[in-house]
Amino acid sequence: MLKYLAKRILIFIPTLLAISLLAFIISISAPADPVEKLSSSADKEGAANQQSNATKKTKQELRKKLGLDLPVFYFSFGSISDCDTLYRVADKDHSACLAELSNYYGNWEDVSSYFHQLNVAQLSHSKLILDDIFEMNKDAEGRPNYSKNEINDVITESNFEINSMLETANPNVIASKFSSLDTLYSNYAFLSPIKKEFEQSKLLYNDMLSKQSSWKSYIPKIIWYGSKNQYHFWLFGDGEQRKGVVRGDFGFSYIDSQPINTKIWSKVWISFSFSLLSVLFAYLVSIPLGIYSAYKKDTKFDRITSIVVFVLYSMPSFFIGVLLLYTFANPDTLRWFPVSGIQDPTLYDPSWSFFEKAAHRAPYFILPLITYTYSSFAFLSRIMRVGVIDVFGQDYIRTARAKGLGEGKVVMKHALRNSLLPIITVFANIFPLAIGGSVIIETIFTIPGMGFEIYSSILNSDYPMIVAVFTIIGFLTMIGYLVADILYAVVDPRISYK
Amino acid sequence: MEQRDFSFKKYAWQQFKKNKPALISLYILIALVFIALFAPVIANDQPLYCKYKGETFYPAFSTLVNPSKLDSVVNPETGLAEVLQFDITDWRKLDLEKVMWAPIPYSPDKGDRYNREYVSPFDEQRYKNSDNQIVAIPNRLRHIMGTDNIGRDLASGLIHGTRISLLVGVLAMGIASIIGVFLGALAGFFGDRNLLMPRSKYYFTLLGVFLAFFYGFGVRKYTLANAFTSGNGIWELVISLILIAAIIVGMRLLSIVFKFGWLAKEVSVPIDTFVSRGIEILNSIPRLILIITISAIFVRSIWLIMVIIGLTSWTGIARFTRAEFLRIRELEYVQAAKSLGYSNFRAIAKHALPNALAPVFVSIAFGVASAILIESSLSFLGIGVPDDVVTWGSLLNLGRQEFEAWWLVMFPGFAIFLTITIYNLIGEGLRDALDPRLKS
Repeated sequence: MLKYLAKRILIFIPTLLAISLLAFIISISAPADPVEKLSSSADKEGAANQQSNATKKTKQELRKKLGLDLPVFYFSFGSISDCDTLYRVADKDHSACLAELSNYYGNWEDVSSYFHQLNVAQLSHSKLILDDIFEMNKDAEGRPNYSKNEINDVITESNFEINSMLETANPNVIASKFSSLDTLYSNYAFLSPIKKEFEQSKLLYNDMLSKQSSWKSYIPKIIWYGSKNQYHFWLFGDGEQRKGVVRGDFGFSYIDSQPINTKIWSKVWISFSFSLLSVLFAYLVSIPLGIYSAYKKDTKFDRITSIVVFVLYSMPSFFIGVLLLYTFANPDTLRWFPVSGIQDPTLYDPSWSFFEKAAHRAPYFILPLITYTYSSFAFLSRIMRVGVIDVFGQDYIRTARAKGLGEGKVVMKHALRNSLLPIITVFANIFPLAIGGSVIIETIFTIPGMGFEIYSSILNSDYPMIVAVFTIIGFLTMIGYLVADILYAVVDPRISYK
Repeated sequence: MEQRDFSFKKYAWQQFKKNKPALISLYILIALVFIALFAPVIANDQPLYCKYKGETFYPAFSTLVNPSKLDSVVNPETGLAEVLQFDITDWRKLDLEKVMWAPIPYSPDKGDRYNREYVSPFDEQRYKNSDNQIVAIPNRLRHIMGTDNIGRDLASGLIHGTRISLLVGVLAMGIASIIGVFLGALAGFFGDRNLLMPRSKYYFTLLGVFLAFFYGFGVRKYTLANAFTSGNGIWELVISLILIAAIIVGMRLLSIVFKFGWLAKEVSVPIDTFVSRGIEILNSIPRLILIITISAIFVRSIWLIMVIIGLTSWTGIARFTRAEFLRIRELEYVQAAKSLGYSNFRAIAKHALPNALAPVFVSIAFGVASAILIESSLSFLGIGVPDDVVTWGSLLNLGRQEFEAWWLVMFPGFAIFLTITIYNLIGEGLRDALDPRLKS
């Protein structure tokens, strides 16, 4: 048994690594950029794209703090046309554009010098000072050639065009931008500082085209980054602030920079109490019901309960939840229960004793709890009934009856224990349910538990939270299966793990 | 020898017929398929047939072929031509001489602007007649199940939602069954020790898989992305998949050249361990959360949702298939096939697979029910499904936001419930019919 346990726990490790890796891969494929989200002050399209150097710098620091300036994993697959330091490019759109360009043209050195020159051209916009241009562009009588508005518009347009060039790899789009910028710069002489850089980037672009070597993108390459990568730091820590998952530190949330551990702990008890209570109720109802309807097999009672249970089993939980809200929390019909949340913030007092808290929260708990319970209840009673019917057909039940044992004893002692096996499997799911919560039920009733938290973190692409939840749920599921296996052996001595 | 033409199929069908709930469910399912197939004819805001100023039109059918069909009629009195663009004409306003409306005369995605803001099926409903007056609606044009906030007809939404729900079941479970049966059969038939191949073939296959993904997806990723944005992504995807298959087969053929010395020695491939670990990993992540996460990354598309559900739902089928194959591979007829020198492929495909499919069908039937449940949960949460696609789940979600619109909760909820129930009942019927061991 011990040997079996040790073997099972050893298998945990690669499985967990695989789960966390899967979550990691899903996370990095997400298009949203967490830095843009966190530094909401930087508006990309608005404000004439004039992201000041200060915001750029804060973003840079933020990236560094979040570890986003590192490669994602120990290695990556690509072709020899790919640039191996692409992860250093801060802007997600820029790095996507760079990757696509080097895929088309093969030489990432040329691509990056063209791209760098475009960046220089864009930065040179900040050298233009509106008032100076206004003062300098006056005719002999001192009348301005351009209004301030016009100057501003022209600079904005040029900035916008160059910025959109930084985000596209489509040769037709690039060509049309080149020609429109050409006319713009020939019409307005005061843009000459940008024009100089722009002409340079045009040269580099043509250079890149002439040296096109698409064949390079057909030759695979493995790029090795070593242990300085996001996944490694997530797992083992970076030796500074982050301790790593192996030491129980899941990092910080992207949304509010809170440690994920505290965030999870503050929510998990809600989901845990829901799943514990609902499993408890489900067992209390379904075990006697299952046994009784198996005992009364093919009677009217059995047929009716079977149909009811089957109907409940096929009811989607969100339908039941919304129906309950409609019926019992609707100002037009019955307003017995509150619509959402788990407590009334105006009345709730954290200094209350446990029972006062429980009494205050009871009405909030009832509807969600019914929704939580009915599905597992239906499932459990079906399993229980089939299990007991199966056991009633066994020889030892006939023997027990034949030797004159009372019906009560036959059912409670011989049949019950043997039909418990399938029920244990459900018990194994209680831990993962606690942390995974039920996304749907918690969303319907606006319960601030883990399910709701996961849902919102997915919508807000809070990767560290998602990866943490995946890993924890995976771990708990495996623990659950293990506990179930041990319980099997306890309930049924015929099962042994050797 | 009393039953001369006994076949298992016939026997199973007889058994299935005895199960009345399952049989009724099958009939309901056939009816649902019928509704789904003929949805544009059953619920359409254009008349099926009409006569307008002496000319005969079949708008509902014409727009099926050409969505923006134009036609014109000449007014005999004034001699002026009136242009009708079929899909944007308000046919109810026209003074039609003869008309035959669809049974539900509304389209799911077009709002009726005279019946906005949640009109109940029993409320007074209005419309604009040919004299440009807004009057109470005639019974023939009533919204029999009410409308939503922008006046879309619920009954029509339900009819067209049937298509999506049934498609989810077919497509998602189709993908899941292909993956599940394939992997489960390999794992169960060969186990960890029996899939033998020369080292050259083993390593070349692994290399082939790597290269295939590199050329199929890595190199072509921009081609694929561009194709998906311009609308013909499916074809590019098929080309990619063919490329992948060709590269893997090619590498396996190439491996024959290198079959010498150390490379020619046969080794066993631990296929069972690979598959079982894969199942364990996928099972350790709650399916709904996994699907929500993946679909939050990509562009919202109902097809993508179906594919994602399919790609994450194969574990149950694989487990059943594996268990069946573990049992079957020891049976005499498979042993006989092996000792007759038949190839492994033939033993699997011709001898083992037909006998393993019975429990797989059962789990596919239950799987369809859960795929439909997941799709409707996703649309209920508003994830992954585009806003202009009307599904049962999205209709139910509209009802959740408005406490007075009970019809938006009851009807879609019942539709989802009905579909899930019939699939579950069919699954039970199949299980009883196909597995005689359960029959006493």
